[in-house]
Amino acid sequence: MLPSRSRTSVLVFLLPPLLLYLVAVVAPVGQSLFLSFFRWDGITDMQFVGLDNYTRMLTGDDVFWRAFGNALGYLAISLFFQLGVALLLANLLTYVRRGKEVVKTLYLLPAIVSTVAIGFLFQRVYSFEPTGFVNQVLQAVGLDGLARPWLSDVNTVLAAVSVPEGWRFTGLYMLILYAAILAVPAELEEAAKLDGASAWKVFRHVRFPYIRPVWITTTIMAATYSLRGFDIPYLLTNGGPGQASELLTTYMYKTAFTSTDFGYASTISVFIVVECVAAVALIVGLLRRRGGVLL
Amino acid sequence: MTLLDTHRPSPVRPASGGRPPRRLAVARRLTTVLVAVIVAVQVYPLLWIFLASVRPAQEFAAGNPFALPSSITLENFTRAFELADLPRYIVNSLIVTLASNVLIVALGMMAAYAIQVLGFRFSRGVLALFLVGIIVPVQVALVPLFINYSRVGLLDTYQSMILPLVGFALPISVYLFTSFFQYIPRETYEAASLDGAGPYRVFFRITAPLSVNTVVTVVFVNSIFIWNDFVFANTFVLSEELKTIPLGLQNYIGAMGATDWSATFAAVCVTVTPLLLVFLVLNRAIIYGLESGATKG
Repeated sequence: MLPSRSRTSVLVFLLPPLLLYLVAVVAPVGQSLFLSFFRWDGITDMQFVGLDNYTRMLTGDDVFWRAFGNALGYLAISLFFQLGVALLLANLLTYVRRGKEVVKTLYLLPAIVSTVAIGFLFQRVYSFEPTGFVNQVLQAVGLDGLARPWLSDVNTVLAAVSVPEGWRFTGLYMLILYAAILAVPAELEEAAKLDGASAWKVFRHVRFPYIRPVWITTTIMAATYSLRGFDIPYLLTNGGPGQASELLTTYMYKTAFTSTDFGYASTISVFIVVECVAAVALIVGLLRRRGGVLL
Repeated sequence: MTLLDTHRPSPVRPASGGRPPRRLAVARRLTTVLVAVIVAVQVYPLLWIFLASVRPAQEFAAGNPFALPSSITLENFTRAFELADLPRYIVNSLIVTLASNVLIVALGMMAAYAIQVLGFRFSRGVLALFLVGIIVPVQVALVPLFINYSRVGLLDTYQSMILPLVGFALPISVYLFTSFFQYIPRETYEAASLDGAGPYRVFFRITAPLSVNTVVTVVFVNSIFIWNDFVFANTFVLSEELKTIPLGLQNYIGAMGATDWSATFAAVCVTVTPLLLVFLVLNRAIIYGLESGATKG
């Protein structure tokens, strides 16, 4: 502690950021919780309904469960890229001798493009008429039968809206994991190799345990960011066709700003927060244990 | 001195015999190929956007939009500027990004200074309160803020976007600054205090100037998200004059009948350029910052 500090100086530095944070983040969470017990369209009087919104959400709303399932699928596909591909790449990069800096820069590039632009891009990539990139590639390799309008086929649309989300941040997570791998003491890996361990064994028993703390952080970041994914499905399909690519976030948004059902939308918001907290608890619980398996 | 120790001398034991160097070379080559393929996957779509923006519009509509352009044109850019008020969107995005960044850096640094350097009884609790914000999804704030804004007349203003953008960026900002402040040696502060410098002077003369690297990281990471923010702008802004780039880009879609894709991708190129330039110039500092920010603490 700074010897010359005074109570006033602490307040001068702490209050402005704390107040803004309370108004923009903390109060809205509380307010959502409050609103979730009411029925309100924003115009007429608010009507207290107790737990009705929660009962409706958990027992009577098929769209909600559909959206929840979709959100998990969306999460799985983005984690495949953001953790799986990113970890593989980070490891491969340690064996590359030249051009590492260029590679890192190029991997990060998609992260700086706006989701609206990514939406435009993937609309073209997936399009059927005129033939988009994916269908062209399929035709080129003789798999014409698989060509389809990826965004209007109910069986493929969820995967189609999830891939761009995974793709755009793969480089970011790769970079973080790569930095963690660089911090693994080279003697350790060297010693394991001299004892005849294969590259996989070195990774499994030396490298991975060493980067576990960073891996936990990365997993938490990737999971919570994917659970709040919104822009790309909203822009590409608006949750359609039907509810085939509806996520909890897009469903909440439409409930609030299309159906102006603020109470029920807040109930879904509260659920999204709970879901994120549960995901973090689960990740920490699963990964912290020493002998825990590789996720 | 410890640095020298980690710079390990070559192991005394000779390299374990038996492993054929041929296999190693093949593995290395495979690795390089795989890395290159994934680079292509990451970069090709962006290159495609650029090619679409310089490709003659008829060729884009009629022919194969995935081949190389037969000739290069700037007409798409002309139309991009005619179809919508592109400069206005860019100015709006600049205003929102600059104002938010100033607040995120200043407030983040202030909070971290109070928590980490000045210290007070509940400092750990306050830090925890900030850190919890990292996992709060932004969507939870949309309905409450929309209601509150409409009550106090803040809907459809720059502030309506800036407030939540700053609020949701503060946790990471506070976290990065507190982690950095741990590394400023106590003695620096004690010496300054002995010279009679108060907490304000120490902040402006010592802490802030030392934090330049962290500031670069914080600003860059946030600029990406703020420059590209869609959800807050889409929820709180209605009028054309306040539209930021992500909202403005949507004006290109179907507004005048069929979408002019070439002009749209030209507009995308124009709007990506400022961020891209900053990224390429600050590249090393940014990558270094991301790496150390994520792995420390």
